[in-house]
Amino acid sequence: MRRQRGGQWGVLALFLGIVVTATVSTAATPSPKRGGILNAMHREDPPSLSIHEEATISTNWPMMPCYNNLVLFNPLFGQETVNTIVGELAEKWTWQEGGKALAFTLRQGVKWHDGRPFTSRDVKYTFDMVRGVPELASHLKLNPRKGWYANIQSIDAPDPFTVIFRLTQPQPSLLLMLASGYSPIYPAHIDAAELRSRCVGTGPFRLKEYRRGELIEMERNPDYFIKDRPYLDGIRFIIIRERGTRIAALQAGQLDVTMPQEGSKTAAEQLKRAVPSLVVVEAAHNVNDNILVNFKQPPFTDARVRRAVSMAIDRQGFVQAVRQGGAVVGASMQPRPWGSWGLPNDQLAQLPGFGDPTRQRAEARQLLAEAGFGPGKPIRVTVSTRAIALFVDLATYVIDQLKQVGIDGTLEQVDSAQWYAKLTRGEYALAGNLTGIGVDDPDANFYENYVCGSPRNYSQYCNPEIDRMIAQQSQTLDPLQRRRLVYEIQKRLEIDGARPILGWSVDSYVMWPYVKNLVPHQSIYSYARFQEVWLNR
Amino acid sequence: MWPFVARRLTLAALTLVGMSLVIFVLLRLAPGNIVDLLFQSAGYVDPAAKQRIAHELQIDRPVAVQYLLWIRDLAHGDLGISYRYGLPAWQIIRPRIPTTVELATLAMVVAVLIGVPTGILSATHQDTAVDFGLRVFSLAGLSMPAFWLGMVILLFLVREFHWIPSMTYVSPYVDLRAHLVQFAFPALAVGYRSAALISRMTRSSMLEVLREDYVRTAQAKGLPRRIVVNRHALRNALLPIVTVIGTEFAFLIGGLVVTETVFNLPGVARYLVEAITWRDYPIVQNLVMFIAIVVVCSNLAVDLLYARLDPRVRFE
Amino acid sequence: MRAVLRAVGSRLHPVGRLVRRYPLGTAGAVIMLVAVVAAAGADVLATHDPTRIDAAHTFLAPSASHWLGTDYLGRDIYSRLMHGARVSLAVGITCSLLGGLVGGGLGLASGYAGGAVAFVIQPVLDIMQGFPLLVLALVMTAALSPSLATTIIAISVPFVPRVARVVRAAVLSIRETSYVEAATALGMSRLRIAVRHIFPNTVSPLIVMTTAQLGTAILVEASLSFLGLGVPEPYPSWGRMLSVSAAEFAQKAPWLVIFPGVAISLVVFASNLLGDAVRDFLDPRLRL
Repeated sequence: MRRQRGGQWGVLALFLGIVVTATVSTAATPSPKRGGILNAMHREDPPSLSIHEEATISTNWPMMPCYNNLVLFNPLFGQETVNTIVGELAEKWTWQEGGKALAFTLRQGVKWHDGRPFTSRDVKYTFDMVRGVPELASHLKLNPRKGWYANIQSIDAPDPFTVIFRLTQPQPSLLLMLASGYSPIYPAHIDAAELRSRCVGTGPFRLKEYRRGELIEMERNPDYFIKDRPYLDGIRFIIIRERGTRIAALQAGQLDVTMPQEGSKTAAEQLKRAVPSLVVVEAAHNVNDNILVNFKQPPFTDARVRRAVSMAIDRQGFVQAVRQGGAVVGASMQPRPWGSWGLPNDQLAQLPGFGDPTRQRAEARQLLAEAGFGPGKPIRVTVSTRAIALFVDLATYVIDQLKQVGIDGTLEQVDSAQWYAKLTRGEYALAGNLTGIGVDDPDANFYENYVCGSPRNYSQYCNPEIDRMIAQQSQTLDPLQRRRLVYEIQKRLEIDGARPILGWSVDSYVMWPYVKNLVPHQSIYSYARFQEVWLNR
Repeated sequence: MWPFVARRLTLAALTLVGMSLVIFVLLRLAPGNIVDLLFQSAGYVDPAAKQRIAHELQIDRPVAVQYLLWIRDLAHGDLGISYRYGLPAWQIIRPRIPTTVELATLAMVVAVLIGVPTGILSATHQDTAVDFGLRVFSLAGLSMPAFWLGMVILLFLVREFHWIPSMTYVSPYVDLRAHLVQFAFPALAVGYRSAALISRMTRSSMLEVLREDYVRTAQAKGLPRRIVVNRHALRNALLPIVTVIGTEFAFLIGGLVVTETVFNLPGVARYLVEAITWRDYPIVQNLVMFIAIVVVCSNLAVDLLYARLDPRVRFE
Repeated sequence: MRAVLRAVGSRLHPVGRLVRRYPLGTAGAVIMLVAVVAAAGADVLATHDPTRIDAAHTFLAPSASHWLGTDYLGRDIYSRLMHGARVSLAVGITCSLLGGLVGGGLGLASGYAGGAVAFVIQPVLDIMQGFPLLVLALVMTAALSPSLATTIIAISVPFVPRVARVVRAAVLSIRETSYVEAATALGMSRLRIAVRHIFPNTVSPLIVMTTAQLGTAILVEASLSFLGLGVPEPYPSWGRMLSVSAAEFAQKAPWLVIFPGVAISLVVFASNLLGDAVRDFLDPRLRL
């Protein structure tokens, strides 16, 4: 008897609790207000306004509001996976033919900013151009992501609102690459060269003005295909080159939000202390710090020397000293909880550079001795890096760590103008480097950086077995099996010392509290659509 | 007189040619060019695309040919296309010049407004506490790096007032007050050093003149000291001021560059530095020649003026 | 014993008189001396290795183990200041000496030889003067890659025309005097005249200009480091210590910004004081 009455009270309490929570939470999250201009931080002029031709956040950040993709990672979720993909210009999509074809049904009634209608022709044109089909009239001056679409055999546009990507092999990653901020749809009726200095897209904002060296201003697109979006009247990306001035501007309220990749942990701490109401969100960049070891240059032709170099560098110390805690350790895929392919901790702990530093260094010295080097015959090496503080600190730390196993390093600062030319030609022995990866996906990462002969495989690492494994995981449809393969590849890459990863940077993204619905993702390149953002004032 | 003028004109022309050669050669010596930089964000350099772009920009032609092409264009008033932005160089440079000129002028105004009175005060109260204090103030201005001063001002403003001057350019036609506020702090940061120099120069010339016999005579005759100071001494102080402005020009640009950077002013000094980093040859070459022409012409004018006033100079 | 002291005291008398006549200059000289001692004895005076990174001890406030605290990489600031003194002073002194010597030589040649020699030297000087310092330094460091040597050359260049102008004026004024006329009439060779009569009169303006330039050279090196040029790693440089940490860490660890800034300002200040005193001593009539 008593139990039954208690049960009734319990249900009532639960019901009341739900009602109360619902009321409170709706009161706490007000409904979006329209209007207002968002002042966003920008650190430099974008090299050009064409997203397809650049590989830097400096272009994506201001230009994403102007365009749309076929599909996009949901702006409101921090982690980017296949499950968070939503349609933009595509209403629905299906995999066909055992994963060898991807068919999209396109939205109707969408207009380009100049009034022309959007059709499947635009999609076919964009991706034919990016994958390098030679007969096209318009071509890209620079094409950093041609390799992403190497697996496409053909693109069919049977009617104005259907597009089918036909692949040579199954490739589940294709969908994720199309969802990246790097994959907007370009208008077929505009020459690609023009898009380097102006923007014609279908996106929620139109380019109002670009004052070079000063600011990029976007205004609301009144004909956007989603009727009550965007909420903002406009966005101003204010270009401030000096770091200290940027931080001061944010503190003084002249800027409302930071820029991705510019959220240093120390700056965020200071800002929070000065203005406690500021919101700080931690989000990974999908950019890692790494060392390049030139496989073709002695003594690094010897695998033992390469391993010793990797073992000598304490990863945790790197995170602490060089990034002031604003980074996490990991292998070649972005680590958890940010990325979804990162190695579990127990597997990480066994890799070179992750264990107890003293023991690792002792092992390193032993390896060097086996290879014929030691106190009597030390290795003298030049460590090259870009002449920017971010890179220089990395290299300085590396030199310091190498000194402790008896490798004598000298720092060489290379001017930005020569950096990639030098790397591409292999004119270095050891180099400190940063690598950004467009999407948290093995295909986007491995093909660019680790496959034999890839132009961005600067260390010239070449392991045919790894190439085979990479090709295999690319076609694997079963997620569990694919994951196992990717783990295996990561371990092998670290053990081979293909590109020893020192750490993965983490942004401390700072916003004023009235900025709503701007959710930093765990990759900096894909969340700048600003479609859902509104200002609570 | 005329052979002297002819000689000086030839000298000026030679100097300009020499400068054009120096800047041209140094720029081409610098390893890496705009094409490499365009590939920077791509992460690697594609040789075929690099070749194509270099050909479009004509940087693959022999250096001597490039030089002649540049001089020819310059003679026609064509300042070329910016490699970085793809727009005519003049279109990029022109809006920025008034900003830098205004900053430099305001800095000089600040410098004179602070420097001359403090210099006079220092001189008329020689060896007193006032003199001592002002001299320390001047020396501090000469000892502080301009960028440090600028950064300190900015941090102080944001810390104490939660406010900094506008980070985007405010046109005087849109809002004069905000425009002046925007320029006031950078002008202070740049002008402090020049104020210090002017103060020291004014002080020493004043001291010299005050010791002269005719001044002592005037004072003995009963003329109030103020009139003596104003009429005689001040006039003599002006020449060194002009000398300071002239000789400090090379260092002034440095101060302008760092201050424009710190305060985010869209000026041509800061832009010149960025253009060098980007190997934007047309912008750098033409801007440097512009500055060179200004400097050479002003030197020429000063020399000719001296020649008129001082016969000894003419016959050397 | 007393006799010895008195003897020493009488020797020191002129020094004491100098100190009393030029108190500010003496203060400047003392500070410069401290800086030079710090620079020379950096290896001994430093408490830690200035390049040693200590991941566990970043942003430490000044304490007994780290007198001026540590920076964002855990490096000891006091030791970096000592070694930085070496670089800043070396650059400053070398640049002003180089500028003085080259400028002095050119001014001497141009003033004394006159005619064709002057005609050749003048445009060279004008070219040097016409280039804004920063532009020249930027392009040079880009062309020749940043290094100690490049920085020194780049900073010395604007000094040369200024010194040359002053020295030339001094030479011109001496050339027309009766001393030289007499010597020429007596048949003294031009070289001997140059060495015995002209040159000594250029020494004091030369010294004045050189000491005055020291402070400027140090400041310019700091500015170049701020822009990322200037002396590269691993040499610790006061200017670079300021540029990297300046605003980013200023509020978290103000000692990162205060000490290098004070060091620069103090040394430049001192060199200016010293320069003033030297000028007052050698030739009160000489105005820059």
